[in-house]
Amino acid sequence: MIEYDEQDRRMTLKIVYYGPAMSGKTTNLLRLHDLISREGRGELMVLDTKDDRTIYFDLLPFFLVAPDGLKIKVKVFTVPGQVCHDATRKAVLARADGVAFIADSRTSEAANNAESFENLEKNIAFVGIDIDKLPLVVQFNKRDLQDIVSDEEIGRAWSTAGIPVFKASALDGRGVLETFRSLLEKVYASLDCRYKLAEDHRLTQEMFIGAIIKVNDEAA
Amino acid sequence: MKPPDDSSKDHLDFVVDSEIRLRDIVFRTDLTPFFEACLSAGACGAAVMDEHGSMLKAKGSIQDTDKTAAERQKRALYYEGEQVGTLCLDFPCGTDQAAGIADLAAACMQILIPSTAKRLLATALHTSVVNLSYAEVLDANVKLQESEKKYRELAEELEQKVLERTSQLKTAHARMLQQEKMASIGQLAAGVAHEINNPLGYITSNLNTFDGYMQRIREMFGRCRDFELMDEDALNLYRSLKIDFILDDAPDLIRQSRDGAERVRKIVANLKGFSHIDDAVQDYVDINEEIDRTISVLEHEGRDKAVFIKHYGQLPKYLCNPGLLCQVFLNIIQNALQATELPVQIMISTSENSGVISVNIEDDGPGIPEAVISRIFEPFFTTREVGKGTGLGLSIAYDIIKNHGGEITVRSVAGEGSCFMIRLPAQEQVHV
Repeated sequence: MIEYDEQDRRMTLKIVYYGPAMSGKTTNLLRLHDLISREGRGELMVLDTKDDRTIYFDLLPFFLVAPDGLKIKVKVFTVPGQVCHDATRKAVLARADGVAFIADSRTSEAANNAESFENLEKNIAFVGIDIDKLPLVVQFNKRDLQDIVSDEEIGRAWSTAGIPVFKASALDGRGVLETFRSLLEKVYASLDCRYKLAEDHRLTQEMFIGAIIKVNDEAA
Repeated sequence: MKPPDDSSKDHLDFVVDSEIRLRDIVFRTDLTPFFEACLSAGACGAAVMDEHGSMLKAKGSIQDTDKTAAERQKRALYYEGEQVGTLCLDFPCGTDQAAGIADLAAACMQILIPSTAKRLLATALHTSVVNLSYAEVLDANVKLQESEKKYRELAEELEQKVLERTSQLKTAHARMLQQEKMASIGQLAAGVAHEINNPLGYITSNLNTFDGYMQRIREMFGRCRDFELMDEDALNLYRSLKIDFILDDAPDLIRQSRDGAERVRKIVANLKGFSHIDDAVQDYVDINEEIDRTISVLEHEGRDKAVFIKHYGQLPKYLCNPGLLCQVFLNIIQNALQATELPVQIMISTSENSGVISVNIEDDGPGIPEAVISRIFEPFFTTREVGKGTGLGLSIAYDIIKNHGGEITVRSVAGEGSCFMIRLPAQEQVHV
C-alpha cells in the first residue's frame, strides 16, 4: 500500500524484513548499510534495543529522484522477531510494499521458521494485504554455520512455491545484496504495473535499482 | 500518524511509517539554546529553512533575502538521504571562523534531526501498539463476556434440566411403587379368588343338588299330607315344626343362597378381571365392560352412598393394557367417593366419534376449588391430610392416559361437582 502524493510528487515505499527471532534481520540491514554507498541512502536508524534484541524496529531509508522529478523514498524496516512483540509486528507490517522473510538455516530452528511464516501470513491478512499480490522473497540465513538444512531440502520445500529463495550469511555479507535486489525487482514490477514508472516517469528498473544499490567501492 | 481510513474491525488503522518532515522536528524541539549558542559564537542571525526555502525558525538579525552586508553561511540539512532544508547563519563581515562555526552548527542539527525523528517514530509506534493491544483486549473482553454469558446460561439450563429430570424420576419411581402395590394387591386378590373359587364351586353344586333333594322331599310330604295318613300326634308335630312353612320357605332360602353364591362368583371374577393378573399384556377390550368391572370392585366402598348412572355408547374394541385403564377409572371414581360424606351421584357416559373414544365421569360432589384445579394432576399434590392420600391417584391417571396418546381434562364448579373428560385417540381397528 504505497504512499503516493501526486501533488508533492513524492512516493514512499515500505519494505519489511520479517522472520523469527535472532534470524538476522537487523544484521541484514547493517550489512546493506555497509555495502551500499552513502550516496542516496540515509543513516541506519536503530531504535532502542534491549540486550541487542530489536524491540521496536530498525529503519534504513533510501532516497532517489526519477528523471521526471518524482521523489521516491524506500524505507526498509525490520520487525522484532520475538513472539511477544506481535502487535509491533502488525504495526510495522501495515501498508508494506514488499517483504523479505529471513529464515534461520539451523535445523533446530525449523519449527520457529514455520511458526514465524504462519505468523506473517496471518498478519498480512490482518493488515488487509493480499498475500498473492505482495512481493515476497525468502532468505535462508546463517549458511556459514554447521548443522543447517541442506540446499536440497530447501529446494524441495520451496521450488514449487514460486517465491525466490536466497541463501545468505548476513554476518559476512554473502547473499544480502542478492536478496535485497530480488525484492526490489519484484517491488518495481508491482509498482510499474500500477504507476507506469517507466512510461510516465521514465524510471526503468535498472535505474530504480541502480539508484538504490550503489555498491560501496571500499566494501566491495 | 495517518488518520484511520475506512477502518473495519479486522483491519489495522495504526501505521508508523508516515513521513516526518523537518517542520515536525523543528516545531517539536526547542531550538532557542542552539540559536543562542550560534549568536554567542559570533553569528548575528540564525535560521532553519525547509526544502522550499520557507523560514521555519529564526533568531537574531536575519533577512529573508541574502544580505550583502553580512556573510551568510548555508548548510544543507539531510534526513533519510534527502535534503530536507537549510541552516542559515549570518555573520558580520570579516568574522573569523564563520565557516567552521557553521559546520559545527550543521553537525549539531544533523544529530538533532535523526534523534528527534527516532523519538517521534518510537512514540508513534508505541501509541499504535498500545492502541492495537487495547483494541485486541477490548475485543477479547467482548468475546469472553459472550462466552461467559453462554456458559452461565448453559449452567442455568443445566440446573433446570436437573430439576426436571429429578422430578420425572421421582414421578416414575412413585408410579412404579404404586404399580407394584397394585400388582401385589392383584396377585393377592387373584390368589384369594382362586381359593374361594374351589369351595364356591362345591357350594353352588351342592346347593343345586340340595334344591333337587328338597323338591323330592316336598313332593313326598305333599303326597303324605294329601292322603291324611298321619295320626293326631304326628299332625301336631307336623304343625309345631311348621313343616308347611319350611317346605314353602326352603326353595326361597336355596334360591337366595344360590343368588348369594352367584354374587360371590361374580365378585371373584371381577376381582380377578380387575387385577388382570391373567393378562398383564395389551389386549382388545370393551371399555364399557372395564368401567363396569371397576364399579363392581368399588361398590363395597360406596354402595350405600353412590348412585351410578350409565350412558354407554357403542364402543369399538380398544387395544390397551386393561389393568392400567381400570386404574384410571378407579382413581377418578374413588376420588369422587372420598371427596364427601354425603351420597354422590356419579354419571358415566361413553361415546365414540370417528374412532376417538370419550369417557366422561361426572359427579355432583363438592367440586374442586379453583385455587388447586391447575395442580391436581401434579404428583404428590393432595388436599387430604398427611397419610390419607398419596397425591398420586390423578397423576397416575394422567400419565396412563398420556402414555396411551390420549388426554384427560377436568371441569369443575365449586359446590356443583366435577367432570373428568378422557379422550383416547383413534386406533386402527382389528376385528377380534
